[in-house]
Amino acid sequence: MTTEPSLSPMNRSLFARLFTPQVIGKMPPGTQFFVYTALILWSLFVLFPIYWVFITSFKEAVDVNRGPFFIPWVDFTPSLHAWRELFIIDYEDTLTAYANSIVIALFSTGLCVMIGSMAAYALARIQYKPKFGTIALFVGIMIVASVAIAKAGLDWRIAMAVAIAVFVVLARALGPKFKASLGNGDILFWMISQRILPPIVVVVPIYMMFQNVRLLDTHLALILTYSVVNLPIVVWLMYDFFVSIPKDLEESAQLDGATRFTTFWEIVLPMARPGLAATTLLVMILAWNEYLLALFISTTKAQTMPILVAAMNAGERGILWWSMSVVIVVMIIPVVAMAIVLQRFISKGVLLGAVKG
Amino acid sequence: MTIQSNGAPGSAALRAANKASAKGLVIKNLNKSFGKTHVVKDLNLDVRPGEFLVLLGPSGCGKTTALRMVAGLEEVQSGSITLGDRDVTTLPPKYRDVAMVFQSYALYPHKTVAENIGFPLKMQGIDIAARTQAVEDAAKQVQLDSLLARYPRQLSGGQRQRVALARAIIRRPSVFLMDEPLSNLDAQLRGFMRAELKHMQHELGVTTLYVTHDQIEAMTLAHRVAIISDGALQQLGTPKEVYNDPANLFVAGFMGSPPMNFIKGRVADNRLQGSGIDLTLSGSLEGAEVTLGFRPEDAEVVDPGLGLFDAEVYAVEMTGEQTLVTITLDDAHFVVKMPKDYEAEVNSLVGVQFASANGYLFDTNSGERLRSGAVA
Ligand SMILES: Nc1ncnc2c1ncn2[C@@H]1O[C@H](COP(=O)(O)OP(=O)(O)OP(=O)(O)O)[C@@H](O)[C@H]1O
Ligand SMILES: [Mg+2]
Repeated sequence: MTTEPSLSPMNRSLFARLFTPQVIGKMPPGTQFFVYTALILWSLFVLFPIYWVFITSFKEAVDVNRGPFFIPWVDFTPSLHAWRELFIIDYEDTLTAYANSIVIALFSTGLCVMIGSMAAYALARIQYKPKFGTIALFVGIMIVASVAIAKAGLDWRIAMAVAIAVFVVLARALGPKFKASLGNGDILFWMISQRILPPIVVVVPIYMMFQNVRLLDTHLALILTYSVVNLPIVVWLMYDFFVSIPKDLEESAQLDGATRFTTFWEIVLPMARPGLAATTLLVMILAWNEYLLALFISTTKAQTMPILVAAMNAGERGILWWSMSVVIVVMIIPVVAMAIVLQRFISKGVLLGAVKG
Repeated sequence: MTIQSNGAPGSAALRAANKASAKGLVIKNLNKSFGKTHVVKDLNLDVRPGEFLVLLGPSGCGKTTALRMVAGLEEVQSGSITLGDRDVTTLPPKYRDVAMVFQSYALYPHKTVAENIGFPLKMQGIDIAARTQAVEDAAKQVQLDSLLARYPRQLSGGQRQRVALARAIIRRPSVFLMDEPLSNLDAQLRGFMRAELKHMQHELGVTTLYVTHDQIEAMTLAHRVAIISDGALQQLGTPKEVYNDPANLFVAGFMGSPPMNFIKGRVADNRLQGSGIDLTLSGSLEGAEVTLGFRPEDAEVVDPGLGLFDAEVYAVEMTGEQTLVTITLDDAHFVVKMPKDYEAEVNSLVGVQFASANGYLFDTNSGERLRSGAVA
């Protein structure tokens, strides 16, 4: 453990001075004034749209149409009509969408973080060496089987069973001959590459898939889709956290009699908590705000909040800014609440004291 | 199962009970390579039940690797490890009944001291009441009982080290494995913990394999020392044996501080002739390239002409308890330990004298000790 020698600013290189964070309280007054002004302006810039949405939810149509008004009771008289319409008259649609969004976001996030962090842990701790040839063999056989199903009209169950059997036999026979193999880095990159594809490309296949298994417009369909779509992000982020945990701790736990799973559960997960919290929050926000996939997969029963918002500018009554604002305001609340709850875990220093430094 | 005997930690009965149940550890022809580097070479060790055996060697010689193989954390390439009467060579770590103190302590940062110490018992499924009692007893043994509610980050280095120790002793394992547990403590604390460790091992009577690169630690702690260089065992013996009767040049040079002095030469007509020296040898070493070694504390500085050879004083250092005189002979430096009130002029000519029993002869090329000759 070393303490930074306290060099005077002049002794440090320009580089060091540029990249050392300054403490506002220690700046000269002029700089302080400038920094505070900039910070306040930026805050206003960020917060103003939220304020605008908030007051718009209390406006009548005329107040919106006659021009931008910003000060309630002075420029316009606030009214609860949009809130009443959404939560008393039309409450069923609103509350259903709200409940859908919450259920889908929670379950997909839970599933995705659970599976993703286990995958990330495995990638961080176990060295995999999938053979390039085996993968190519699998892909090749699957293509042949698909063609057989589509062109020759083979029953898909038979085709798949035969394909898998052929793959197993060939892989066992040829496996030792394949030399080129991939590593964990390749697997990791393959996972994140799934996110490089724009979602619009896969929307139609996904739609067809759920249509075929009769899951369109169900919670399950959205939960599964979001879990899969967000999985690479979880794996990517959590991998970094797991890699940074000293291996000694896990080995020590192993010697103390813990199983691999107990080690993961009792030692690794608690230490990865900040990463887990940040990842959970990010994935949840992604699921909460997702629009494109929801638009295709859900129609009425499983409709989510983003769809509801979008629906407000498509009706015959024109764009319902006030109703849209109400929905946006209630959409913001759970995310902020979640951020506040998870914030407590997103702190540094969990590893402090683990190993002598 | 009894976790903690009811007797006081120091009771003779407990000691006897532990001694009786202590297990021996036998390592046979152990090998390990990482890629092309052969890190552990044909290691053979026989740790007796209840013995404190220290693996001593310079940094990077494969000590940690050997210890990790005993723990089961590193796969054994060839050879066998037997604990008591069980062959544990391929057993996973948790079934080996060994406890390890890591070079880095490896404390669980999100658990309190009490939870850290109690973790092995929790894994054994021991109920909370028995566990709490055992944790308190173990903590008392390492003087941590007032810190049980703290987290590792709130502890000093020495306290962390003791938590790691307590976590190892609470289980009453067959063998303790310790990887340089004192290396990150300051000198004073290290001395104190050394005594603590020795006392504790004596009380518990548990077979201990201890790794260090510090020869003082090895000398003070060990029943026997195994000196390793480049992954191969050089000598195994009590601290006295390896110090007084080194098997080869490496051991002779590694043990002792300041280290042994060496003079190279060739034997002709029963005389050892090298740069600046010409000594009479007994025994039959005609024509051999030999290295003569003598320890700083076995030699003394005398008036010129009265010693075995003459040389110039290079430097005189007072350490408080003694004076270290460095002398130079044809660019080679030797150190001689003299009493604290010794004084000498730098660059003056002096003689160096030591008893013939204190001169060690080695084969310069193979490094092996030559026992068939002596300085006359
Ligand atoms: N996992 C590994 N992969 C490759 N090489 C390794 C690995 N672990 C250790 N080594 C190498 O093996 C040699 C012995 O390492 P080891 O950690 O056993 O040394 P040591 O005697 O404990 O040293 P120190 O006193 O510095 O702890 C070193 O050269 C090291 O670089
Ligand atoms: Mg080591």
